[in-house]
Amino acid sequence: MTQTAPPPNTPGSLDSVPNAAKKHWVGPWALLGPPGLWLVLLLVLPTLVIFELSLVPGIRPGDLVNPSGLDNYTQIFESVYLRVMLRSLLFAIGTTVVSLVLGFPVAYWIALMSPKRWRNLLLVAFILPLWTSSLLRSYAWISILRPTGVLNSFLGIFNLPALDILNQSPAVLVGMSYSFLPYMVLILYSSLEKLDLKLLEAAADLGATPIQSFWKITVPQSFQGIAAGSLLVFIISLGDFINPELLGGASSMTVSRLIYNQFLGPTQNWGFGSSLSMIMIFAVSAAVALLIRYGNTSSGKV
Amino acid sequence: MAGGSYSRRAFLQQTAAAAMGLSLSSCGWRLANVRPTNTASADTSKLYIFTWAGYTDKALLEQFTAETGVSVVVDIYDSNEAMLAKLQSGGGGAYSIVYPSDYMVRRMRDLDLLQELDRDRISGLDSLFEPYQDPSYDPNNRHSVPVSWGTTGLVYNRKSLGTEPQDWDFLWDQREKLTRRMTLMNDTRETMGASLRRLGFSYNAEDPEAIRKAFEALQELKPFLANFTTDAWRDRIVAGDLSVAMGYSVDAVGVESENPDLGYVIPASGASLWTDTMAIPVTAPNPDAAHAWIDFMLRPDVAASVTKSLSFATPSRDAFELLPPDISENPSLFPPDDVLAKCEGLAPVGASTALYERYWNQLTSG
Repeated sequence: MTQTAPPPNTPGSLDSVPNAAKKHWVGPWALLGPPGLWLVLLLVLPTLVIFELSLVPGIRPGDLVNPSGLDNYTQIFESVYLRVMLRSLLFAIGTTVVSLVLGFPVAYWIALMSPKRWRNLLLVAFILPLWTSSLLRSYAWISILRPTGVLNSFLGIFNLPALDILNQSPAVLVGMSYSFLPYMVLILYSSLEKLDLKLLEAAADLGATPIQSFWKITVPQSFQGIAAGSLLVFIISLGDFINPELLGGASSMTVSRLIYNQFLGPTQNWGFGSSLSMIMIFAVSAAVALLIRYGNTSSGKV
Repeated sequence: MAGGSYSRRAFLQQTAAAAMGLSLSSCGWRLANVRPTNTASADTSKLYIFTWAGYTDKALLEQFTAETGVSVVVDIYDSNEAMLAKLQSGGGGAYSIVYPSDYMVRRMRDLDLLQELDRDRISGLDSLFEPYQDPSYDPNNRHSVPVSWGTTGLVYNRKSLGTEPQDWDFLWDQREKLTRRMTLMNDTRETMGASLRRLGFSYNAEDPEAIRKAFEALQELKPFLANFTTDAWRDRIVAGDLSVAMGYSVDAVGVESENPDLGYVIPASGASLWTDTMAIPVTAPNPDAAHAWIDFMLRPDVAASVTKSLSFATPSRDAFELLPPDISENPSLFPPDDVLAKCEGLAPVGASTALYERYWNQLTSG
């Protein structure tokens, strides 16, 4: 996730060409034009349209767009929708914590303890699930978690009581953590790989226990990786639709499901859906701003 | 060099013009206004159909292609509202056939989304059963042709329940025992309607007090539900994970054949009676093939064969007479008249739609 800026446009050997001055602006334009146009047409403009729709109370397809107030936003502050947002937030935080707790040891082991020549292979093996469709992975969890599914058949062998978690919040958390764990591991790996082992040796020489040196050296040194990984997982799980929709039940409505329902689901209120979308966009933008602030500073401070 | 800077300026001007056009038109634009697509670019060798899951199969499509030379592409939706949203947002320009249900036909007709059918190109309209000759949602079948009809009731597993539910009340009475073993449909009108009907109101109630009572009853039931789903219950009830699910009769007949423990009941206090139709959107790029499709689907031999293979309830008398008795006497598919008399069709509820949807959002969000 280190976003080093692309090297400035260096004309290099082209300096000998007579009209090199022209190249100075042709280069950046040629490079930035297509993605810029792409962003404006497919991101900025649609966002503005969503914003406009969010200002039309209760608009549905076929209605005249006539922005006239913040009713859609005040609707969000009804307690039932605040609860939906809180639930989404808790799912995202929960997923982040689970991914961090499960992902850190894995990343630590791959980066520092595994045989060097196996490292890349291990990493690839870990992110391999990302190559299959996320829809498919959620369906796999359905067949594992459902009452007559794989998990309960397995528990039955050992005479353990059956677990009934499908269509409830824990199932959503399981599915989301499973889906986003690889992102966490990848980012933590790239951060832990750079860990200065000499500091750990020095700490051990000076009498620090492994636990002390973990908290005083490993964690601070990989803090940026932890922050970047956590924020990334937080952002994607906040907007996740598939896991809550497939693994959740009647009582695990999240913001993304609610937005879907306003546009393509049983209720059609594009205005309310748009205001919910705007709130999500702001929340994610804030998280991205944090990500850039804490996840991207060069490691000079350590 | 001059050429380069000119083209950049021209490009900027064009972009500015395009952006300005957008902002100008946004002074009074209509959300998702449906416009006919350019028919010149239409490919007459292809027919795009937008329909419910399980309404076509490979053999049917191949037979149509063999007879007409038109190849068929099928996309599916799971609610009338989703289909309408796709058409209205301009994403349905490719479809020449859609399958709206009764009340949606009326709504789409009022929105001028449906073409008037050319009756001369469709034979078999006269062989429809009498109630389908002149349905209230579309007088004289001017914009739609019924293709299948049925009820919405309860699919249950008689082995795991140990009994057979008779009415909607069963869900409320047995809710503790049925915790996360039952589903209701993810459909505002059907589910709210069932709750209304259980309380003695009409499926199409517009009285705010009645709608509120129905909502409160559903809220009482919600903590015990596995999910709101219109068709994802099918695999799970066959596997035995669910004991009872609210569903369409055509789906029920489908799962009954997979698991003999499953049964279907039309609740005693009444259920919704629906008709699915075939209609041609005004934007249809290939209306000729669309008419051919409707004509094909109404042919007695075709209608009888899909009734058998896809468990449709055909509204065509000629097709009904071709059916073997085990199908034509299946009460789930063709219920007796006294049961049907208690059923009710969904009709548009006008200004109350917003109220229904508001309650639905609250119900599913809480």
